Amino acid sequence: MANLAHEKPEQHAAPYGAGAEAITHGGATRRDFLTIAGSAIAGIGVASALWPLIDSMNPSADVLAAGAPIDIDISHLQPGQQIVVLWRSRPIFLVNRTPEALKTLQSQPDIALLSDPDSTVAQQPDYAKNWHRSVKPEYLVLVGICTHLGCIPNYVPEPGGGGLGSSWLGGYFCPCHGSRYDLSGRVFSGVPAPYNLPVPPYRFVNDKTVRIGENPPNETFDLNSVVQL
Amino acid sequence: MKRSFAVIAVAALSLIAVGARAQEEAPDAPHQDWSFAGIFGTFDRGAVQRGFQIYNQVCANCHSMDLLYYRDLGPDGPGGGIGFTEPEVAAIAAQKQVDDGPNDQGDMFKRPGKAQDGFPPAFPNIQTARAANGGAAPPDLSVIVKARGKGLEYLWGGGGPDYVYGILTGFKDPPPAGFKVAQGRYYNEYFPGHQIAMPPPLADDAVTYTDGTKATLSQEAHDVVTFLTWAAEPQMEARKRTGAKVIIFLLVMSLVLYLAKVRVWREVH
Amino acid sequence: MAATPSTVRTNSKLIRWIDRRLPLFSFAQNELMDYPEPRNLNYWWNFGSIAGIMLVIMIVTGIFLAMQYTPNVDLAFNSVERIMRDVNFGWLVRYIHMNGASFFFIVVYIHLFRGMYYGSYKEPRELLWILGVVILLLMMATAFFGYVLPWGQMSFWGATVITNLFSAIPVVGKGLLTWLLGGFAVGNPTLNRFFSLHYLLPFVIVGVVGLHLIALRQHGSNNPLGIDVKGPQDQLPFHPYYTFKDMFGLAVFLVIFALFIFYMPNGLGDAQNYIPANPLQTPPEIVPEWYLLPFYAILRSIPDKLLGVIALFGSILILFVLPWLDTSRVRSAYFRPIYKWVFWLIVIDVFALGTVGAHRPEGAYIVIGRIATLYYFLHFIVILPLLGWFERPLPLPTSIAVAVTRKLGGAIPAPTAGAE
Repeated sequence: MANLAHEKPEQHAAPYGAGAEAITHGGATRRDFLTIAGSAIAGIGVASALWPLIDSMNPSADVLAAGAPIDIDISHLQPGQQIVVLWRSRPIFLVNRTPEALKTLQSQPDIALLSDPDSTVAQQPDYAKNWHRSVKPEYLVLVGICTHLGCIPNYVPEPGGGGLGSSWLGGYFCPCHGSRYDLSGRVFSGVPAPYNLPVPPYRFVNDKTVRIGENPPNETFDLNSVVQL
Repeated sequence: MKRSFAVIAVAALSLIAVGARAQEEAPDAPHQDWSFAGIFGTFDRGAVQRGFQIYNQVCANCHSMDLLYYRDLGPDGPGGGIGFTEPEVAAIAAQKQVDDGPNDQGDMFKRPGKAQDGFPPAFPNIQTARAANGGAAPPDLSVIVKARGKGLEYLWGGGGPDYVYGILTGFKDPPPAGFKVAQGRYYNEYFPGHQIAMPPPLADDAVTYTDGTKATLSQEAHDVVTFLTWAAEPQMEARKRTGAKVIIFLLVMSLVLYLAKVRVWREVH
Repeated sequence: MAATPSTVRTNSKLIRWIDRRLPLFSFAQNELMDYPEPRNLNYWWNFGSIAGIMLVIMIVTGIFLAMQYTPNVDLAFNSVERIMRDVNFGWLVRYIHMNGASFFFIVVYIHLFRGMYYGSYKEPRELLWILGVVILLLMMATAFFGYVLPWGQMSFWGATVITNLFSAIPVVGKGLLTWLLGGFAVGNPTLNRFFSLHYLLPFVIVGVVGLHLIALRQHGSNNPLGIDVKGPQDQLPFHPYYTFKDMFGLAVFLVIFALFIFYMPNGLGDAQNYIPANPLQTPPEIVPEWYLLPFYAILRSIPDKLLGVIALFGSILILFVLPWLDTSRVRSAYFRPIYKWVFWLIVIDVFALGTVGAHRPEGAYIVIGRIATLYYFLHFIVILPLLGWFERPLPLPTSIAVAVTRKLGGAIPAPTAGAE
């Protein structure tokens, strides 16, 4: 018989001496309460020792603190201008939209291009589920990550601008695969990206300051709940 | 067997001398009572908060604590903080100016602190620290209590707090008869060599405690050492609590496994 | 179905299916359950399995620490403190790893002294012993690299002193040192490569432990009487006898381990290492961790730099030839009345060396250190060979079973014939 060991043959043939045989009937051990209990407790010990190790991989306190809300001063943001800030390592677009832009957003030529004009898919908090996808119509706050494969779309606010054709009404163009969004971040039909650009939790601390990462009072919204970040 | 244990015991005791890597140039600071000492030790929150007040008002002028952040003091801090609420933490942080920048013009600027900020350093770099203090840069205090400690007591984390307390209360002016103190140095009973570059930082009523406790020198020293011990290891209470649970579990497990072993071996013995 | 049916004892068809193709289960059954051990092993035999568990604990905690640690001179110290404060249970993983190193050495030193007392290094187990010394060397290197990583004062200066030893080698020493450091002094290149090597060596240790276990398997364990197994009446299957004995011993060991982790976590360390490394300021005493102290003492007791280095390495390398230095035909100290005392003398000598290593080399410590170093080498080179020739051992029992019976005061039942 093929054997890994170089044991003397009789060690297989005859089991051990002096009472060992009583316990080891052909290898089966007498299972009684103490031995089962001992092994079970040892097993619990090993399992509970694993939890701290696994938990140590969760975000640490300093990482969680770095993800705290940030305050952005928008008092110098001109109409038609966009600034980009980082929050939780993601680009956040803040736009001061012109009245012309706002008019375009409710017009039929714009809405006809869109895949989800009423923002039915959950890409935004309830307080941004409207045609301007924001708290105040003049100011737009978006997470600047294309919902296709994650590139950062370019801001092209001028109608007809950016080499995108004369029917371009102003919005976002993603250079990676050509996805297009309007000036509320709503995605066009027939482009690779499936969903509107996400809106992060935010609120106005006062007229000059936007706090990214904090909901308005009595609102709850978690950015992780959106369909596609 | 008995002989072997006796020899091991003697030999092991000699190892305890290993712990006594003593510096013979200064006497050991006397032992104090600390709320955090022992198996069931905890940080007396009142003392830690008063100690923080002392650090903030007195020590922070020269000593940085680079490893501490304002959020550590609040409920999100390690070990649950020292009892300040989030608004209190924000207010404490806002009292200090911290460096930020560069701004859009490329300049660095100062702004009020926030919970996520670290305790601002006392000096912008070590050269300024040395220049302002006669060539001896004041050490960072984040883990000072763990960085000082010797003898048997270091075995259980003792020694360091007693030493720092000794330094803070051990100044003698005038120095003992016959002892010549160099220019720019001060006589301290427990500092190795007895000549420390730090002037006595604390005195009776050096601060007015917000909670109304009488601010004697020994009270101030006791509180600031409690704070510094917390700062050196904010997770200490969690460590001791978890330790109790783990050791009790292991003792139970040892007992059960012992009985199992005896059971298994009974037929053979 | 062709070829060999699986030999695993099980009711499960799945296990039998797997085992026939990859004999994991029958391997486990053979090696960890049926495997015969001498029936008279005492608790000093627990330390081998405990050492194996410690190796696993060190690797697992080390891997999780490596996820959070930054091997850069400006960031290392703070990254360790971040683990202590901000990482969930980071303090626990760090303290287990830090104290685990000390306890790993405690276990291995006891395991080693067990081997010395009972003659486990003697024929036919010479290679088993040598592999063990290789493991000890690898552990010392691993521990040395690991201690540098927190980048405290002792990390930096300990690294400086120990790497400087290499410059003592004639001709190639200085070049070798620069190559080792990656620079003119201990610095960032040094820290980075020490981190890489610290991660690598434990897995080399795992490999050598594997060889160590294969060598063990060849002739089985030694036993307190030091006499060979004569037959199955001298043996017991590993399971359940030694599985439960090992688990019990491990549990008691873990209690002591836990006492240090949770209530004396810095007791075996040096306070100086909580001061960030400062190349411009030497600590008042540069001292390695306690498990390297005896060798440090030997190094310092010889006034010449090169001879001191030779003595240091010699003190470890001499262990390799121990099987041939000890000329006694009798294995176990049970039956060697003089060697028993000689053994305890070397234990005391090693503790004395350790104490000397912890203190500054001044006054009485210099004298004690030199005497202890001399005695250390005397023990191996002079005493052991002579003792083997001149000592009259006590008469050995005829077999383990006979000795055990005599101890129990009665006859043991005859071994049961007939197999499973």
